[in-house]
Amino acid sequence: MSASLPSKGTMFAGVNITKLWKDLLPPTIAITLFLLIWEGLSQSKVTLLPGPSSLFTDERTRTLLFFPFYDRGGIDKGMFWQTLASLQRVAISYTLAAIVGIGTGIAIGTTPLLSKALDPLFLFLRTVPPLAWVPISLAALNKNEPAALFVIFITAVWPILINTAVGVREIPDDYNNVAKVIQVSKQKYFFKILLPSALPYIFTGLRVAISLSWLAIIAAEIVMSGIVGIGFFIWEAYQNNYISEVVLALVYIGMVGLLLDKFMEWLQAQIMKGQ
Amino acid sequence: MVATQTKPLPTTSSRSTTPLIEIDNVTKIYPSTAGDNVVIKDISLEIHAGEFVCVIGHSGCGKSTMLNTVSGFAVPDKGEVRKNGQKVTGPGPDRMTVFQSYSLMPWLSAYENVYLALDSVHPTKSKADKDHIVREHLTMVGLGEAMEKKPPQLSGGMRQRVAIARAFCLYPEILILDEPFGALDAITKEEMQEEVANIVANHDATVLMVTHDVDECLFLADRLVMMTNGPGATIGEILEIPFPRPRDRSQIMEDPRYYDLRNRALDFLYGGLEIE
Amino acid sequence: MSEQFIHIENAEKTFPLGGGKEYNALKGINLSIKQGEFISLIGHSGCGKSTLLNMIAGLSLATGGLVQLEGMMVSGPGPDRMVVFQNYSLLPWLTVRDNVALAVDEVLTEKSPEERKEIVERYIKMVGLIGSIDKLPTEISGGMRQRVAIARALAIQPKVLLLDEPFGVLDALTRGKLQEQLTRICEETGVSAIMVTHEVDEAVLMSDRIVMLTNGPGSKVGGILEVDIPRPRKRLEAVRHPSYYQLRSEVIYFLNQQKQVKKMRARKVPVVSRHGLEKVNLEIGFVPLTACAPIAIAQEKGFFTKHGLDEVSLVRESSWRGIVDGLRNGFIDGAQMPSGMPLWMTLGGPGESTPIVSSLTMSRNGNAITLDRRFLEQGVHTLADFKKVLDASPEKPHRMGVVHPSSMHNLLLRYWLASAGIDPDKDLELKQIPPAQMAVDLKAGTIDGFCVGDPWNLRAEMEHTGFTIARDVDIWSGHPGKVLGCRADWAAAYPNTHIALTKALLDACQYCADPANAQEIREILARREYLGTPMEYIQLSPEANIAETEHQPIAHHVFAGEGVNRPSRTEHLWQMTQMARWGDVPFPRNWVEVLEATCQVGVFSTASRELGQTEISYIRNSIELVDGTKFSAEDPIAYLNSLEIKRDITMAEIPIGPGRKAA
Repeated sequence: MSASLPSKGTMFAGVNITKLWKDLLPPTIAITLFLLIWEGLSQSKVTLLPGPSSLFTDERTRTLLFFPFYDRGGIDKGMFWQTLASLQRVAISYTLAAIVGIGTGIAIGTTPLLSKALDPLFLFLRTVPPLAWVPISLAALNKNEPAALFVIFITAVWPILINTAVGVREIPDDYNNVAKVIQVSKQKYFFKILLPSALPYIFTGLRVAISLSWLAIIAAEIVMSGIVGIGFFIWEAYQNNYISEVVLALVYIGMVGLLLDKFMEWLQAQIMKGQ
Repeated sequence: MVATQTKPLPTTSSRSTTPLIEIDNVTKIYPSTAGDNVVIKDISLEIHAGEFVCVIGHSGCGKSTMLNTVSGFAVPDKGEVRKNGQKVTGPGPDRMTVFQSYSLMPWLSAYENVYLALDSVHPTKSKADKDHIVREHLTMVGLGEAMEKKPPQLSGGMRQRVAIARAFCLYPEILILDEPFGALDAITKEEMQEEVANIVANHDATVLMVTHDVDECLFLADRLVMMTNGPGATIGEILEIPFPRPRDRSQIMEDPRYYDLRNRALDFLYGGLEIE
Repeated sequence: MSEQFIHIENAEKTFPLGGGKEYNALKGINLSIKQGEFISLIGHSGCGKSTLLNMIAGLSLATGGLVQLEGMMVSGPGPDRMVVFQNYSLLPWLTVRDNVALAVDEVLTEKSPEERKEIVERYIKMVGLIGSIDKLPTEISGGMRQRVAIARALAIQPKVLLLDEPFGVLDALTRGKLQEQLTRICEETGVSAIMVTHEVDEAVLMSDRIVMLTNGPGSKVGGILEVDIPRPRKRLEAVRHPSYYQLRSEVIYFLNQQKQVKKMRARKVPVVSRHGLEKVNLEIGFVPLTACAPIAIAQEKGFFTKHGLDEVSLVRESSWRGIVDGLRNGFIDGAQMPSGMPLWMTLGGPGESTPIVSSLTMSRNGNAITLDRRFLEQGVHTLADFKKVLDASPEKPHRMGVVHPSSMHNLLLRYWLASAGIDPDKDLELKQIPPAQMAVDLKAGTIDGFCVGDPWNLRAEMEHTGFTIARDVDIWSGHPGKVLGCRADWAAAYPNTHIALTKALLDACQYCADPANAQEIREILARREYLGTPMEYIQLSPEANIAETEHQPIAHHVFAGEGVNRPSRTEHLWQMTQMARWGDVPFPRNWVEVLEATCQVGVFSTASRELGQTEISYIRNSIELVDGTKFSAEDPIAYLNSLEIKRDITMAEIPIGPGRKAA
């Protein structure tokens, strides 16, 4: 390392502070500006929406903000529990959707006949918006909880399934030729060639699906009364005109959505190291 | 190391006129965290008007860097490049470059791509004149029928033809070609070499070209500059290619000097080449 | 069952297209490959070379014919035929080691895990990548990736390695390095290999045989070249081997020919009849040699036009090969050719028989045998001296260059050598080399001498690289040099044109023979469209004063004179015996008939009479040669039997007659 290094950036615990500062400054300014304008608009009564400061000024909201872990029984729970309840539903249905989606996707991708038979049906079903499934699932399953799970599942399964099928179909001929020449066993072909090759596609599907299912849970919960969950929390707050609570919930939803996406990205990077 | 002995530089030819381009003792350094990387070192070369000079050497030997100091995209750290005695300080249309990647605007037709360049360099020319020049040059590269097509509708060879027509229609004082045929298949490559040879003769153009291909040099060049391996690449040897023009691929093979020159160029490139 | 390693017989491949149509990619492919051979398949894109490779790989099966490996039909892919694809086809999620290991573990199941690990490492080491063994494909360069692919292919120890343009996407220099490396590996492991390529130098450097495929649809094997460059090969040594550029130009010639075939077919011009001649638009082929003077002069001085042939264009061919193909395919009407070529083509020298007729001898003499100057320093002045040098160093290979088997150079050189008891094939090696390269080879010392026409002997003298040890006048004074040749069916279809052509060239020959015209002719020949060579290398008459040739007066051409232009059956017969003697053509049982048909004295006589020349009485009965023998046309078979140095002579019935139509 040459002596000229200090001029290029201050190092702190191995992190280049100057560089970090340069990367963080523009978004910080943008967010601050956005909040200031919002606050300004609501102060000047241009909109009836409470400003961001209401998170602290409104007492109910402040409680929710500072005590996310309280539990007064029933559906009167802190934000953490509300979010967790929604996340649990997503976790169950999303896992199910991933298993069904990847499995069916591979089956369709490797069997042209199946693909021919099912493609039109899938293309039709996947265009149905999540909310439209709510009444159907309620009618079919009769209960709130399984209906919510079903809505998430049906929303998340299509992108996974379709991307997986495409990924399997798009395995480069070269890889298949190599496999043919060295006569790889079926099992080895699946784990060493098919799966890794389709993996980028599968992950694209999984990432789209996680955003969609998070979107769907909110929609589903809003409609289904009397359950713990962040969607129903929003609906109830709105009914009671606690708008600043809705704002708080939005922040939670946004954060969780972001974290879920980042998590999938990280997972993908872990699994597909070096590609 | 390369087996061929370095011969004294530069081989100033007997021509009395001042050279069009003088590369005078040019050194180019790229700084990096691991210390300075001297790409080319003390390169001197003179190019006379009307000459076709090919530069050949291993990847990363700084051929393109040398080209960039002439085109003005890179500034020498030591020494200077002069054109007609004037120091080169930046890029200009008098030194047109054609890259291996065609760098055409995909939303413009072949005609419009060429016209755009001509129009921005010679805005004062009359529209009819410009139209004539563009058509003439596109026809010269065999695109008379495909003028209205857009780059995505053209094959790689045809796109490179557009790029070449665009460069030539500006009548640059020197045309700089950076591996222009590197990405083309053998047949297209040969066709285009012939087209370029024709246009060069037609325009009496001066050309500086980087290539990997010995046969391309023997067909096109008046002089073949062979560069040693980097870092600190320099000119190893210069071969005069004496075949009379216009050249015919099979006729130059009737000249015993062809075999001699080709073997010397191969010696230079592959001689003492270690296989890692 | 065939004993061949890989045997392909009459194989074809048809791909179905939409709408019930189909595309016939390959047709009638015959190819046999020996164990350990390195074969290149070369051709233009779309010639089906990859299709052929895939047929052997079993990735795409032949739709007709046989493709066998060790007597077994190829019915699908298998690890005994490992393929290296152009884009490496490494699995990007596996490291170098795992990529190779995947194949090794899958194929070499009988080996223990330790052995397999050792094999993986051994082959990665072989391609020089042991340092990158745990890297992923994305972390190494394209050239290195292809080396991994090669290691993977070899590690499973296939019977044959199939390479599909393995270096196609690499830059020229990386490609050059890998070519040498793969050549070395194949030599070391002795693996058989078949490589698809479109790079001529790659094919010549790496192969034992080069299989050239014609353009599709319905591609077939257009020719197979043996590469006789010794192994182990290194590029810089290989390019200096006398065969290298000969082979390279053969392949380039083939590829160019393929490129032009379509153009030529499209060009087929209608016959123009005029002045009572059946065809006046002629294409006449020539090779740029001093001896092409009559053709150049007939064109430049208007002799063609004078005899009514007012639309003659000349076709300049760099090699005799071009003349042979031009005539066979009917692209040219007539050509200058070595005097043995009419019979050589008639007797099937180039592979199939094309009856050719000759009505005019255009030049005589003008050839010489040149030896490397170092022999002069060793005191070699005569053939006997040369034999002593050869006998003194039997272990050292001696090579001499000739241009074409049917040319008088070859026949005279062989006769001359044999007359001193030197077997031209056993004591020496005679190679076909283009003349321009002979000069370079002589200078580089890769050949010991050559027999060729001027300007090359003179040039070697003037450049002090060689010296003339014998002139043709010493071996057979007045031998025929170049003759006019036309297809027999052409001559039959256009008899008056044939006579007019003979007349025009006969006139031109006389013009060339006049010393007063020598300067003008030299100027014309020096031009680019003819020889394209400095004028001092072109000499026409013995009077020309060449100070540099201190050893022998220069050989010079005779273009006209008593009996010079008349075609002679005895001479053609001598050449027939010589070509049969050296195994180039079979000796025809019906030799009298063949001679009658080929050597058209009648056409010459008519032409000569119409020109008012009365030199008809000349009859040459026998030929006197350097060793004192007289050759007469009485019993050629007894003559052949009496020769001591000769190859196995075959006899055959050559069908002659109006069996073929004009093209």
